[in-house]
Amino acid sequence: MIGRVAARWLAPALLVAVSALTGCASDANSQQSHDTGDLSMPGTSMPEMSMPEMSMPEMSGAGAPDAPVAGAQGRVPQFLVECPYSHALADDPIVFPGRPGSSHMHVFFGNDSTNAASTLESLEAGTSLCDQRLDRASYWAPALFDGETMLTPSKSVAYYRPGAGVDPTTVQPYPPGLKMIAGDAGAQGVQSTAVVAWTCGTGIARDALPPTCPVHRPMRMLVTFPDCWDGTNLDSADHHSHVAYSSGGTCPSTHPVPVPQLQFSVVYAFSGDPSGLQLASGPITTGHADFFNAWDPAKLRSEIDACIHRDVVCGVTSGRK
Amino acid sequence: MNRFGRFFVAAALLSVAGCSSDSSSSGTNVPSTSPTATTAGSNGVTTAPVGSSGTNTTDAPSTVQPSDPTSPSAPSGDGATINVPDDQPTIQAAVDAAKPGDLVLIQPGTYHEAVTVETENLTIRGIDRNATVLDGQFALDNGIRVVGANGVAIENLTARNYTKNGFFWTGVTGYRGSYLTAFRNGDYGVYAFLSYEGQLDHSYGGGSPDAGFYIGGCYPCDAVIDHVVSEYNGLGYSGTNSGGDLYIINSIFRFNRAGVVPNSGSYELCYPERSTTIIGNTVYSNNQPDTPAIDVALLAMGNGILSAGGVGNDIERNLVYDHDKTGVGLVPYLEQDPNDNQPTRDSWSRPCADTVNDPLPDPASVPDAVLWDSHENVVKDNVLTDNRVADIAVDSAGTDLATLGNSFCGNSFTTSAPLQLEALAPCDGAKPTATDWTAGVLNVIGWLGETHPPSQDYTTSSPEPPAQDNVPDAATAPAHPATDVPAAVDTASITVPTKPGS
Repeated sequence: MIGRVAARWLAPALLVAVSALTGCASDANSQQSHDTGDLSMPGTSMPEMSMPEMSMPEMSGAGAPDAPVAGAQGRVPQFLVECPYSHALADDPIVFPGRPGSSHMHVFFGNDSTNAASTLESLEAGTSLCDQRLDRASYWAPALFDGETMLTPSKSVAYYRPGAGVDPTTVQPYPPGLKMIAGDAGAQGVQSTAVVAWTCGTGIARDALPPTCPVHRPMRMLVTFPDCWDGTNLDSADHHSHVAYSSGGTCPSTHPVPVPQLQFSVVYAFSGDPSGLQLASGPITTGHADFFNAWDPAKLRSEIDACIHRDVVCGVTSGRK
Repeated sequence: MNRFGRFFVAAALLSVAGCSSDSSSSGTNVPSTSPTATTAGSNGVTTAPVGSSGTNTTDAPSTVQPSDPTSPSAPSGDGATINVPDDQPTIQAAVDAAKPGDLVLIQPGTYHEAVTVETENLTIRGIDRNATVLDGQFALDNGIRVVGANGVAIENLTARNYTKNGFFWTGVTGYRGSYLTAFRNGDYGVYAFLSYEGQLDHSYGGGSPDAGFYIGGCYPCDAVIDHVVSEYNGLGYSGTNSGGDLYIINSIFRFNRAGVVPNSGSYELCYPERSTTIIGNTVYSNNQPDTPAIDVALLAMGNGILSAGGVGNDIERNLVYDHDKTGVGLVPYLEQDPNDNQPTRDSWSRPCADTVNDPLPDPASVPDAVLWDSHENVVKDNVLTDNRVADIAVDSAGTDLATLGNSFCGNSFTTSAPLQLEALAPCDGAKPTATDWTAGVLNVIGWLGETHPPSQDYTTSSPEPPAQDNVPDAATAPAHPATDVPAAVDTASITVPTKPGS
């Protein structure tokens, strides 16, 4: 059920305030008006996982992220996965596992089985809708509204690249079951375009707010995920602390494992005046996205070996499509 | 126009064994002729035959150690032949076991694999082009993908039902695809990207929403497409930002939304598209309303040979007929929200190897849109009939057409846009005998507002091709890696084709 705009905004805003007071869960996409009490750590599949202290969303460990490489495709190695829109649910298997209907509305891509009950095992048993069927990962983002109308995305594109300046040969696969959130669902103002940006088509411009896009260049929300992992935890209490952004081509000592930098693009067949756009998580500035890794491990390693390590472009998404 | 150069790739026999990927999960690796076989991936982990999803793997005792050079079933190196499935149960296992110079020879059967090749100078050949089939079952991505491995030749195989491409080379110097059939694949049929010194010949591409054949992102490409048939695709041929010793010759492009469509755009590297030579092709009936099609294919629908922002292309001695719009059209490509400014004229000849290292532009300096006009193309000695808007045409979106430097001469045609085009823009610097560029203009801008039959599902919309010719002596010919490509091209000897059935 799509709530009214005010309700969609107020609940996350209230809970951002709660988070600020308690130092708890920074991802406001976890919050909804009827569910404010339990921000406990979701389960993980790593038995000896350490529990980093909860902190605010800026805790990425390496300071402000470097801008990802933009421009014409072909400059940096990559492989990519394009997925049609799958479904929408008020579920969030990272922040509200096992609690259907507890989140704001999300649009899901990739694994068609994703819901609040999703686990690594359930995703591995699910089906990918993408052009890379061995990518059974789940990707999701807050639903986008134009006024009261929820916009159905046309597709998503997941670009997997080395982080800017990172030695491609050092990039390691994500561990199975890794969960990540990029962007700040409680952002009170615009976010760095190095993390959340809006574009028309595949042009070089990266805007903090949605631009006015022409009909033939669909609007995209582009979210760049951390590319360094702490090597131990599949998740963390705030869902951020176990991963970090590289800086100057180097991962921080606290997060020493380079992993692919996932740039996740949600594509909307929307053109024209963007002033009425809002996200289910709140104002349009609250852009973020979630990733739950369930790639076939051997295929993911194969793609990283063949494309990233060998510094080869294994696919592009055409600006002509 | 003559071109007798022959190019040789230095045989850098670098072993990439240490980089070998585990692709055992990329497919199920079981030819249908061996229903009880268990199979092994490059890591020696056995995979089991699976059902229709074609993607499951299961741990089981290994029956073959294909990467073990001591295995008697995996002789390789020095031009050895590795038979599939006799020596290695899967194509991927054979490729992983092979050394540079080896021949991977594949028996007839249906192989549910997505093969990644990372070893240089291999020859991968099917015994029977029509019966040695890689089938992605709409679950696997590429039939055979050559990633950064120079000199790999693929021959006499069919790849169908892949979510991305049938045959794909990327980031290589030296590639050859001969006697290949690619159909019903989700992106391209036969695809070379950021690659040089290549040849695609005697092959078939059908039923792809993008192009049956594509060579893009290279200058000078030094590549040849010769004797191919491309039909029922969104585009028969597409080449973005490619050219320079790039020849498309002696081929048939028919029943696509649009036929041969090279174009420029800053969404990929190496812009603009330039210096592609298109000679001796039969291009007809590219109005097909029921194919899969990307947006550009819809926009270009009804055109035979369409340069969209191309520079310095030679379009000669082609037979072009039965198109709803143009036979040969030179039009602009309007790129909205580009990635860069348009290169200046004096930098059109810069090799791609140089431009890829250019610094990124300041996004604030990049305009909201770039109009890639078609400049300095030569349209000469083509035979054109029944192209219902114009047999030959040139247009822009605001640029003075007289300044574009295109030339038209010696064509057999009835209609042109603008009128008297050969008089307006004669070849070889001859003085124009007409000056009115406004009468009978093409109005390409109007195309943007047109609607076309929507793209069809690539998994169901294209017909299966008839049986195709086999490479001679497939079972006995020695390995022939792509170290001597492209073959010499004598464009002067090519004549206008005769109409099929006449």
